Formats: sequence, structure tokens, C-alpha cells
Amino acid sequence: MALMPKRAKHRKSQRGRIRGNATRGNTVVFGDFGLQAMQPGWVSAQTIEAGRVAASQYLRNEGRLYIRVFPHKPITSIPLETRMGKGKGEPEYWAAVIKPGTVLYEISGVTEEAARMCMARLAHKMPIRVRFVKRKTA
Amino acid sequence: MAEVLKVAARETTGKQHIKRLRIAGLVPAVLYGHGEQNVNLAVADDDLAAMLRRHARVVELKGAVNEKALVRDMQWDVYGIGVLHVDFSRISEHERVSVEVPIEVRGDAPGVKEGGMVEVIVHTVEIECEAEAIPDKIEINVKELRLGGEIHARDVALPSGVLMITEGDVLLLHCVKPKVMGEVAPAEGAVAEPEIIGRKPGDEEEEAAQK
Repeated sequence: MALMPKRAKHRKSQRGRIRGNATRGNTVVFGDFGLQAMQPGWVSAQTIEAGRVAASQYLRNEGRLYIRVFPHKPITSIPLETRMGKGKGEPEYWAAVIKPGTVLYEISGVTEEAARMCMARLAHKMPIRVRFVKRKTA
Repeated sequence: MAEVLKVAARETTGKQHIKRLRIAGLVPAVLYGHGEQNVNLAVADDDLAAMLRRHARVVELKGAVNEKALVRDMQWDVYGIGVLHVDFSRISEHERVSVEVPIEVRGDAPGVKEGGMVEVIVHTVEIECEAEAIPDKIEINVKELRLGGEIHARDVALPSGVLMITEGDVLLLHCVKPKVMGEVAPAEGAVAEPEIIGRKPGDEEEEAAQK
């Protein structure tokens, strides 16, 4: 089963708008290096998982990967070749709402070079522009 | 020898004025401490960047004020690229201050050869020392860290004149087997749905019948 909440208050949610920048979750906290979003967007549970797989294949049991985002938002869609109307579509997948500045993944226990290589592989999976960041010291 | 930083007095406060100040290449700052009046300052962002490159913690302020100060706090923008604001705290000669200092892992742990990895739990420690002698980092040697071994704050060797403020039994790092990242099985057929809070099992069937 893909990443999704265990319990939810409502089955469907409104789309909403992504306004402003991330004021929380915008620094590297757990690891030494991170991948920071530079654009707003939705990152689906499938994409988050694809990133995790790409990272774990590169890391091969070295270091540790932290996933800093979780898909809380149900995204609905209307089936193909369906006439308009008849209400809102059914939940299709779950997505994380990403504001610019959000740190998506973090890595620890590897060299900077290895972390950069790993994050580059991960960045290719992302639907938004991202950048490599380091932990801020002092 | 402390880093010299040119500062100008800042008369204006408020969002609009500060915005203009930043566009002009200045960073707002404040100087406080020792029970004296706070002073609003402005620092050139190039000078501040140079100070950051040299990892200076204690600076000699010149210009609007001529005092020695400790960089107490810094506010960064969303991406952590630009400095938004700096807090300077007045210090006197030989004054002891408590600051957060990052830790750095040195050496190769034998536990890594045994199939483990060194996991840092706490990345900074709080220490007390003379303001002039704040270390850039606290080095922790892991040459004797075997698999399952732990290093607590009390185990850290500190430079002379430095006192650990962080409680002794705080775990800083340990050598553990890498956690296998939980595999997420692909969803089969229809998307599984989470439990809806406050909804009984029969409700869904009723809704479907109404449609």
C-alpha cells in the first residue's frame, strides 16, 4: 500500500492554492544533507516512494535517508470519457503539498560527494525544481 | 583578534523601511546586553558574508558603536541563503558565555567494519567558555566506537576552559546497524482508503444506494 494517512476526517478535499514559502520544515534537521524544494507543487505518494527507492538503490545500506514530507492530501479525478457534472470525482492518489523551501529528503552517514550523487538521482524523480542543501552550522 | 565589522546606526524600523534597507544591500541588526540600551544597526551584507566565511563568533563593531559583541542569533531567508537579521550581544573581556557549538565526528569507528554506521543523534552541544575562545566545533573521536557503542555528552573531551552545559546523559551519537528502509508494497487494484473518522461501516453503502 502506498504512503497515505491511516485515518482521515474527510474522503475528499478541495484543491486549494499554494501561497507563500515554507516557514517550517525548511532546514536540514536530522541528517547532514538535504533536498530542498524551490517551487510549489504537489508531490504524490508514488513519487515520494520512487525517490526513496532511487536513494536506497544508490546508498545500498550505507547511511540513512529521512523522508521529511508525507502525503496528507487526497487528490480526486474524473474517469476518462465521462461527461462533465455528476459531482466530484473519486480519490485517485495522495499527495504532499510542497511550499518553496520545504526540505523533502535528508541523508546522513555518507560523504558529501555520495550525498550529492544520491540527491541528483532523487531530484530527477521530483516534479518540482529542487536543490541540494547542507546542514547549517552555528 | 576579533573580526572587525563596520556598522551604521539605523533610525528606521518597520517592515517597509527594512525592506528598502535590504534592497540597498544592508542587513538590519540589533545590539543588546549588559543592561544597556538596545541599539538598532545596519551591516553591509558583503561584510556579513565575509564574517560568515571566516566563521567569526565574536566581532569588533566599528562605526556607530565601538564595542565587542557576540553573534547571538541570525535569521535566514526561506532557502537559507541570505541573512535577514543579526543579533549582537555585548561582551566584555574574559566574559564567559554559553553558546551552541556543532560537533564533528573524527576517525573511523571499528563498528563500521562490523557492519554498523555512526548515527549522530544530537548535532550541537551547549558549552560555556570565554567569548574569545569559542571553539568552531567540538571534535568527537570515534576510534573506539564499536557496534552498539554510544557516546554521551559526558564522554566528550573538551578543550581547556570549556564547560559542558548539555546534560551528561544526552546521547550524542551511536554505532548501529543501518535501518532497512521500510518497503512500501504497491497498491493492488483500487486505491485503498483510510478510515474516515466518525463514519460507521454501513454509511458508505447507504451513500452509494442514494446515488
